[in-house]
Amino acid sequence: MTTVSTPAASPVAPAATGRSPSRVIWDRIRRDRAAKFGMVIIVLFVLIAVTAPLLTMINGWSPYDFDPTAVDKRMAGVPKGILGGISAEHWLGVEPVSGRDIFSRVVYGAQISLLISVLAMIVSVAVGTVLGLLAGYFGGWVDAGISRVMDLLMSFPSLIFMIALISVMPEGNRVLLLVAIMGGFGWPYIGRIVRGQAITIKHREYVDAARVGGAMGASILFREMLPNLTAPILVYATLAIPTNIGTEAALSFLGVGVRPPTASWGQMIQESMLWYEVDPMYFLVPGTCLFLTVLAFTLFGDALRDAIDPKGSR
Amino acid sequence: MSGTTRIAGGLLAAALVIGLSGCGGAKEAPSASDGKPVSDAPAKGGTLTVLSNQDFSHLDPTRNWTMPQMDFGIRLLYRTLTTFKSEPGAAGAEIVPDLATDLGTSSEEGRVWKFTLKDGLKYEDGTPIVADDIKYNVERSFAPELPGGPNYAQVYLADADKYKGPLKGARLKSIETPDDKTIIFKLKRPVAEFAFTVTLPTFAPVPKAKEAGAQYDNRPFSSGPYKIETYDRGKELVLVRNEHWDAATDTVRKAYPDKIVVKQGLRQSVIDDRLIDSRGDDDTSISYSDVTSASLAKILPKPDTKARMVSEISGCTDMIGFNTSKPPFNDPKMRQAVQFALDKQALQTAGGGPEMTEIATAYLPPALSGGQAQDVYGIPATGDVEKAKALLAGKTLDVGMTISTGDKAIGEAAQSGLKRAGINVTLSPVDPSVYYDTLGDTAKTPDMFTYGWCPDYPSGATFLPMIFDGRTIVEKGNSGNVWQFKDEAVQAKIDEIQAMTDGEAANKAWVELDKQIMQATPAIPFAWKKKPLLVGKGVTGAFGHPVWAGQLDYATLGVKQK
Amino acid sequence: MIIYLSKRLAAAAGILLVICAVTFVIFYVVPSDPALQACGKTCTPERVAEVRAQMGLDRPIWEQFGVYVVGIFAGRTLAAGVECGFPCFGFSYQNSLPVWDLLVDRLGTSVSLAIGAAVLWLIVGLTVGVISALRQGTTLDRSLMIATLTSASLPVYFVAMLLLLFVVRVTEILPYPAYVELAEDPMAWASNLILPWVTLAALYAAMYARLSRAQMIETMAEPYIRTARAKGLPERTVVVKHGMRAAMTPIVTIFGMDLGGLLAGAMITETVFGLPGIGRLAYDGIVKSDQPVILGTTLLAAFFIVLANLAVDLVYAVIDPRVRYS
Repeated sequence: MTTVSTPAASPVAPAATGRSPSRVIWDRIRRDRAAKFGMVIIVLFVLIAVTAPLLTMINGWSPYDFDPTAVDKRMAGVPKGILGGISAEHWLGVEPVSGRDIFSRVVYGAQISLLISVLAMIVSVAVGTVLGLLAGYFGGWVDAGISRVMDLLMSFPSLIFMIALISVMPEGNRVLLLVAIMGGFGWPYIGRIVRGQAITIKHREYVDAARVGGAMGASILFREMLPNLTAPILVYATLAIPTNIGTEAALSFLGVGVRPPTASWGQMIQESMLWYEVDPMYFLVPGTCLFLTVLAFTLFGDALRDAIDPKGSR
Repeated sequence: MSGTTRIAGGLLAAALVIGLSGCGGAKEAPSASDGKPVSDAPAKGGTLTVLSNQDFSHLDPTRNWTMPQMDFGIRLLYRTLTTFKSEPGAAGAEIVPDLATDLGTSSEEGRVWKFTLKDGLKYEDGTPIVADDIKYNVERSFAPELPGGPNYAQVYLADADKYKGPLKGARLKSIETPDDKTIIFKLKRPVAEFAFTVTLPTFAPVPKAKEAGAQYDNRPFSSGPYKIETYDRGKELVLVRNEHWDAATDTVRKAYPDKIVVKQGLRQSVIDDRLIDSRGDDDTSISYSDVTSASLAKILPKPDTKARMVSEISGCTDMIGFNTSKPPFNDPKMRQAVQFALDKQALQTAGGGPEMTEIATAYLPPALSGGQAQDVYGIPATGDVEKAKALLAGKTLDVGMTISTGDKAIGEAAQSGLKRAGINVTLSPVDPSVYYDTLGDTAKTPDMFTYGWCPDYPSGATFLPMIFDGRTIVEKGNSGNVWQFKDEAVQAKIDEIQAMTDGEAANKAWVELDKQIMQATPAIPFAWKKKPLLVGKGVTGAFGHPVWAGQLDYATLGVKQK
Repeated sequence: MIIYLSKRLAAAAGILLVICAVTFVIFYVVPSDPALQACGKTCTPERVAEVRAQMGLDRPIWEQFGVYVVGIFAGRTLAAGVECGFPCFGFSYQNSLPVWDLLVDRLGTSVSLAIGAAVLWLIVGLTVGVISALRQGTTLDRSLMIATLTSASLPVYFVAMLLLLFVVRVTEILPYPAYVELAEDPMAWASNLILPWVTLAALYAAMYARLSRAQMIETMAEPYIRTARAKGLPERTVVVKHGMRAAMTPIVTIFGMDLGGLLAGAMITETVFGLPGIGRLAYDGIVKSDQPVILGTTLLAAFFIVLANLAVDLVYAVIDPRVRYS
């Protein structure tokens, strides 16, 4: 997708009661039911991801254990029993063929999927913010150089390129590679926003005041300007996560996801697509998780944007 | 699936049985498992559709050397000097004359082979097929511009070391064509089975006038029963009858359909679904590639659908190979430990279960070892972890295993089995297209990998020497002996057997050699697979041909007339 | 304006050249050797060397790159004496066909897919967006927004599989999609593309609905709308002529970019439905390390994206003269 929502620029309107801006935003989000729903889901999945080792200890199956007794060998490895082999032993059923526990895999999958998307977001936000600030503040050839690079990266047919890059690099840590590539192609979007913002605020009084006061470049950039850009960056960061989750899943779908036997939601969905008719549960479990997470981050990100900029209420 | 389709399916199947008995009923009832054709009611006419998930890599007879398209080309587009009988089971491994009048006559102890062409052989434009056209195609297989094809001519023909193909005008002296009907091959060494060698598409005619270099691949000129009407690569190939092909000169090809359409670039799971449903035009369609294992789960529980699945033994052996040139697997003990630790049953399940895969216990497939599979180690199907641990003597191993992306389930099954004995495997899936390059670079060969071997024709000579002779190893582009297995005793034995003139004795000796190599375990055979191919309800004469790895024999396919 | 235009064109050409160079380098260092692959099962090192020379792969990378770029504009003659005329993108390693022919051939599918889906999502997305905006806060608005959010959160292949399952497998309303040329049989063309269109449109319509709703709400709150209402114009005229027109401007620009991206191939949709489009061609090229095809498809895709950006910028420049001097 080429569209990345651009958060509105205006700074938070100070409320009459004298509450701090972040307090105002927080109160607005708390009043938003959709945002709360999103938040609950996000917290839930983050908890699941963090406690994955504990959860799988309780159910007793590592995500890599084969269970040949749970599948029907004569029928090409279909899980035995109803609903994809759901039983007291396997809470969400088993994978066809291998008999690995779906609950354990989906729980560890949450870890990997969230890890990759959050790390990729951090990479793109960090790079985008720094370079965007530099370009916006210094202007001239710095701006020209950085802007050309951003133009260039945004003109790349990114999906083709990501697949191509990953498939020519078969060695090495796949998770880091995915993070690097997704982050590497993602930063120009945030970079552009930050650059635009930086240009508008670099001549505000407080920045000028700091400069007159003898502050150095780096200090101005990160002490004076950056705090005033937190809001749009935060919104962008929240909305980048569902995009990244989707990209990870799409890359897995096209066969260049994490390395087996590691589980990620995208990889699970890709495998289960073939089985969707014979064993719909295999498909539905990771599919639902993916859907809910994307939905939750989108809801929360939207609410955050609205809370920061109530004028463009949506 | 709705209830109505199922009922319709049942009715059609019933009609088919009645139709058969109406014919006089000499044939047995159709069945998929015993190698008999799925249905047998030959009739001329109609359109056969082939649903494919890929494009042919090469249809140019010079370059055609991978299993399904070899069958496709040889049975439909071009004829060779001799060819395999169009019959299921062991009979299919017998050869009959095709362009030639007989199976060739040899002299000088098998160093010279002479073939005579039949009368009345014509190309698609009506011009006669002459001996020089076959010579010309064999010469093309030397051209660096046209790589990828069988290399037997380069290996066997005399005085051909410096030859670079006919595209710049040079001709080869060791093939003689004294007249338009006679062709004589002069070989470096005696080749007893040269009559089998000339079944390869290298020995089909290509008229010099139609030469188009690499572009010939897109429009090979037909000497077979069909010619190319249109070929939109990756999308669609349409074949129509070659009016100049004379059935009287051809004992093998039946050429029932009037038209054959190959639809390419479809998803295999969609192809499977279409053929399971078998409605509309899909009724007269077949699958080009294997059904997916997930689709097997849809097919196996339904007897009427299962009856439409051809599943002939492929004749290939699937193996897990080692890099025997460096630690830890330069130590035969470590390789044996893997042999014992492996859970072959899990691998079997990953390969489609016992319906589709037999657990392999030797290198030579049963067809090459007298129909009987030998079992050297007698390890239980799920492995013997204790024995493996004993061989490892308290050590744990951390090794890498490279698999092709399609073999993920296989890799994971191996990984999970070996973990039980303390062998930790890191899997690297590599795309199939670069897979063999990765293995073939001896500097980069991974610790473990999967590899398969299929005999080019049914003889132990196209199997063990090709993959276990240490003298064939090359630094880059290594193939066959990818494990870099060097064993003087084995090499001596290979030379000894190849010099044998008695075929029976040679076959027995190959089986003995198999045992000997199994002791050293440069690779672990784990599966003898069947090739599962689904055909529509209105397709006739479908059976898996034993020589072409269980691929459907395109010579006998037809469609029922509506 | 002319100076601005030529500047932008030069920049666009520069971007394409850099993309070409980067792609070239990446696939030059790729572990697989095209010569080795072409050579087949058992191949001697000497023969690999011959094949490599034949393919022109034995020359240094910068020379190969130069030959490639010059070839695009001037055509070139390959080692075997095969002519590759303008515009020469080389020959596919896989099937020896000119890459340009392959691109032209596949473009029809991608264009059919993109345009059809675009029409669908514009109609559905904008309608839903405008209705939602005008009924802001009602149950209708909320349920429409929930629907669009859901639809936007579902992965493309998820929707595609569901459609295949229910429309094709279970109810048998439509046949299995198989691409038919428009010129060949317009009815079959459309009926085979309905599912892919709906799949893509479901995603984009949701985004456009949300976007147009937001734009519309913002615009309808502007003072000039109040003025228009106060003038006593009928509500219909106010909404359509004043409200929508202003609200659509940013959407048009985003539409340009989206369409540009889609013309370059919708890889997942084309893969799921087995459509022979540019995305599919690119994917197959990557999978088979078919460097000329990868280069060709990447360049074409980048070309469309750059073109879309350029078009959008030019539209802006026409609307807002300040852009030209910034």
